[in-house]
Amino acid sequence: MVRITFIDAGGTRREIAAREGLSLMENAVAQGIEAIAAVCGGNCYCGTCRVHLTPEWFERLGPPGDYEGPVIDASGDAHPCARLACQLPVTEALEGLVVETPASQS
Amino acid sequence: MTAARMPEPDDRKSARIAEAHLAPQAGSRVIGRFALSREVLRSPKVRQAGAHAEATDLSNPDEVSFFFLDGEAHRKRRAAVAGLFAPRTIVTRHHAVMQRTMDELVARLREGKPLPLDDLSFQMAVDVTAEIVGLTNSDSNRALARRVKAVLDSSLVRRPGWLGTLIFNARMLLRVGRFYRKDLAPAIAARRRQPREDVISFMIGENYSRKGMIMECLSYGGAGMMTTREFIVMAAWHLFTSAPLRERFLAGDEAGQSAILEEILRLEPVASMLHRRAAEGEPGLMAQGEVLCLSIREANVDEAITGPCPFRLDPDRAKRMKVAGPYMSFGDGPHRCPGAQVALHESRIFLDRMLRLPGIRLVAEPTILWNDFIQGYELRGALVACDPA
Repeated sequence: MVRITFIDAGGTRREIAAREGLSLMENAVAQGIEAIAAVCGGNCYCGTCRVHLTPEWFERLGPPGDYEGPVIDASGDAHPCARLACQLPVTEALEGLVVETPASQS
Repeated sequence: MTAARMPEPDDRKSARIAEAHLAPQAGSRVIGRFALSREVLRSPKVRQAGAHAEATDLSNPDEVSFFFLDGEAHRKRRAAVAGLFAPRTIVTRHHAVMQRTMDELVARLREGKPLPLDDLSFQMAVDVTAEIVGLTNSDSNRALARRVKAVLDSSLVRRPGWLGTLIFNARMLLRVGRFYRKDLAPAIAARRRQPREDVISFMIGENYSRKGMIMECLSYGGAGMMTTREFIVMAAWHLFTSAPLRERFLAGDEAGQSAILEEILRLEPVASMLHRRAAEGEPGLMAQGEVLCLSIREANVDEAITGPCPFRLDPDRAKRMKVAGPYMSFGDGPHRCPGAQVALHESRIFLDRMLRLPGIRLVAEPTILWNDFIQGYELRGALVACDPA
């Protein structure tokens, strides 16, 4: 299990024990993180599983992929370190990851 | 003495006709488990099959609809228009079209005469799709709907034999030609002068051929207009025939209403199956060259993902099971329906506005028919009426 912390727009923190082999989105949905909507079920289409990383974590995990970037742009999310949780596979390298979720995924 | 087993509750209206008519492609292996279906649909080793995919000439991708493409070419084209389907775009741009169409439909209903529900739902689907595609320079939106319907409906009626093919081709040529002259050509001309955020502007920028543009517009039309027409009627049928469900819908917020519609769609997917061909083998999953038939209807009632009583309409199910609400009804993987959220929003707005009309009632229930081409149901003959203004 990998410890990951979600902080919602109101500042509430919640730590989850995430399963390796699943995406960050799948772990978040399975553990009831309501700020992750994921209406397309993890197909990198809807942009409703956005998370905001710190610059350090963003550098470690890399920028959005070729198809992920346009989806984030289309969502209007201007955060410089935004990623889609469905495109982040959980591995032990994510131990201690802290992400913020936007006030709205729409 | 053994206690009699209670029959499992089954709220589906389309199950019987589907069971009688479902026809997987000859030689294909049917997969009904949700997890396995998802694995196949997300695999980069599969290609589109069924629905004439294998008869499509892919040698010139610029003349092929995105529907038939796979891999990089497909992802690139989808990514280029992703913004048109984004939740933010739906709210900030498409909602206005949906509300404007509903103003018009409500005015027609308030004349007090019974109207065909599938005509009303088709007008909504046409107006919204036309905005996304860019078909906004026609003489009128009702005339556009008639011409699109003529092309798409006639594409489904094809008699066997050379005479049937001849008649089919002649009829299609006429109808497609009319659609091009009256709807597509004016839209192209307007966007050459002033590009907009829509599919036609994108195609102009990419130098699509005339044939390529027609194919793409009709693909969006088939996907965005015909299926949404059926779903809205199906959802209305459920809501008219269950007072508690209707009351819950009308009392619900946007999320609550969407949950009801997604649950109806889980039970009544408009398209019942998808086909894929394995371009490469995957041990334990598929053999190279094998054609797989993914049964959406079976996947959507797989108890491993739905929990108990899978045939019961339970709007709280998806949240309880922590699953994306429509389950497999919009497909999955790279070809998942790009307009899924658009369809849900327009259905919700249509039904919310219609069901709040004074005296609204279902004057005649629909007849449920089967469409062999899309392997899905069609609902015809439903009439709705409300008190005159």
